[in-house]
Amino acid sequence: MDLSNDKLIEMFTRMTRIREFDERAGHLTEEAKVVGSVHLYVGEEASGVGVCATLNDDDYITSTHRGHGHLLAKGGDMRKMFAELYAKSTGYCHGKGGSMHMSDLDLGILGANGILGAGAPIAAGAGFACKHRARGQVTVCFFGDGAASEGAVHEAMNLAATWKLPVIFVCENNLYGEFMAYSSQHAIDDVSDIAQGYGMPGVAVDGQDVLAVYEAAFEAVGRARRGDGPSFIETKTYRYYDHVGRDYGVVPRPEEEVNYWKSRDPIDIFRATLIERDVLSDASADAITQSVRDEVEAAIKFAEESPEPEVSALLEDVYTEVTA
Amino acid sequence: MPGTVGIIANPASGKDIRRLVAHASVFNNYEKVSIVRRAMVGLAAAGVERVLYMPDTFHICTKAAAELDLPFVLEPVADTLRADALDTVRAATAIEAAGAAAILSLGGDGTNRAIAKGARNVPLVALSTGTNNVFPTMIEGTVAGLAAGAIAAGAADPAVVAPRCKWIELAVDGIGRDVALIDAVVMADGFVASRAIWRIDRVREVVLTRAIPDAVGMASLGGFVGPVSPEDDWGLHLTLGQGGPCVTAPIAPGLFRPVPIAAVRRLEFGARVAVAGPALFALDGEREFTIRDGEEASLYVTRLGPPVVDAHRCLTAAQEVGFLRSDITAAVQSG
Repeated sequence: MDLSNDKLIEMFTRMTRIREFDERAGHLTEEAKVVGSVHLYVGEEASGVGVCATLNDDDYITSTHRGHGHLLAKGGDMRKMFAELYAKSTGYCHGKGGSMHMSDLDLGILGANGILGAGAPIAAGAGFACKHRARGQVTVCFFGDGAASEGAVHEAMNLAATWKLPVIFVCENNLYGEFMAYSSQHAIDDVSDIAQGYGMPGVAVDGQDVLAVYEAAFEAVGRARRGDGPSFIETKTYRYYDHVGRDYGVVPRPEEEVNYWKSRDPIDIFRATLIERDVLSDASADAITQSVRDEVEAAIKFAEESPEPEVSALLEDVYTEVTA
Repeated sequence: MPGTVGIIANPASGKDIRRLVAHASVFNNYEKVSIVRRAMVGLAAAGVERVLYMPDTFHICTKAAAELDLPFVLEPVADTLRADALDTVRAATAIEAAGAAAILSLGGDGTNRAIAKGARNVPLVALSTGTNNVFPTMIEGTVAGLAAGAIAAGAADPAVVAPRCKWIELAVDGIGRDVALIDAVVMADGFVASRAIWRIDRVREVVLTRAIPDAVGMASLGGFVGPVSPEDDWGLHLTLGQGGPCVTAPIAPGLFRPVPIAAVRRLEFGARVAVAGPALFALDGEREFTIRDGEEASLYVTRLGPPVVDAHRCLTAAQEVGFLRSDITAAVQSG
């Protein structure tokens, strides 16, 4: 694994951006400043960043209802994201989409998605396009353990494997589908076991270790770029907060389980590694965190000061312009 | 307690990144349940009275027992699961403390290393379910259960059929830090990350307890330049680099790489290999930890590893004392 110090610091910064963004988004929802619900990615930062750090801007990702982390990991604009959460015209969807519909085609972000598993067929389609353009592009399909039992995901995996599409299926197994424990919904311990049934390699990795995720994603992306077809990566991770919003305790999870996972915080783990390797010092790591916090507050200010969408814009962005 | 056997089945073995970077097999947990089920039948046939097991997230042992009418008591040995290697270490310690006569393991080299760290004196029947395993063997679960049962029943003497294995002890700045059963690999500075080894260009040195050409991984590499058997009272030290032979070795399942070897040295028991930091250590195929600039590690081979049951010798010895045999006349009359 050859990663420059600059790249490592960029990965740490992106993880911190996700953490700080979603922490504030959670609070702002409670203050009724954010419109609609937010599904927070706090605790899962290593998964999105470890995968997206292997991608180019012209590679694609499909995301989920818990999509803020994926957008930021792929380089999304925090100001447009907060503006979208505030339903302002400067947002990614011009204030008409909210948390679960943000996309940035310039960065290959094909959109968050409020429908469980619905990103997978889109990813297969994007993978088909990548293959036929033959420019070495790949598509990553993020989905959760809940979506792993959706038919659309299985159809997409079958198609991708049959046509050897350059798609990497990344299942972020955070142990809960909404409020139901993983073990109550699945007969297997490792979602990645299903990959074998579709004729693609599947691996399970420590989703709290961004470098472990990166290494697996790097190899899977390399396979896809070489034309060797799809792969399946299961990142074992944990969401710190409830299914929606912060910790409302709707269905309490075992305290011991929560404490165990929080003791393996992905940002803490990576920070300690970077400090041990003299890539960062305590002071420089703190400076990054503070800089990100400043960026978050500036983005919130931008969102608050942005205009509401005009009523006349209501029917815009429904259909695309067709060019001959 | 006489007649007690432990079972440790690792639910995580056989799933790592080598499915992506090599052509490693997938070993799903239902197959492990099936193997444990057959092993339990073997244990029952041997008259084992009590089986202690490591609980796991997939409930391998309870699923295995669910379809059986077992004559022994089945008990978990731990109450807290971390879903990592420490579960295995703790379970092995608890099984040893409970006086088990043998431990039956399902996993790879890494699983057995964790068991060895937790229980150094209980005879180990090691069944392979990992990736490129050298330590455990591919034996039928029924036979493995029977072998562990024969030890527990007193039908085979562990001092005869379960010799202690070699292992590698690793100390950092003079303080014991870890052990490995098969290989300790010194890599250029890097990260633990996904743990497995396939980038051979990052490997600097290899210390082996056994070097066998009919293996996969580092043991194979050594096996083609200086074979060392499990019975030999020495190990092997390879320094990679130019100046010696180049071996095209299977460093992972289905993955061959040319490996230049600068030096090969027979490593007598206790002879130390010194390693100056920075360096990354991989033990039994898994990257584990780093030492920094200014730190120094030393590695040496001893025969202080756990006793390992040779199933063939064990059951051959058992049959010599009438194990599983009843009086033929009585059997015919009762039948």
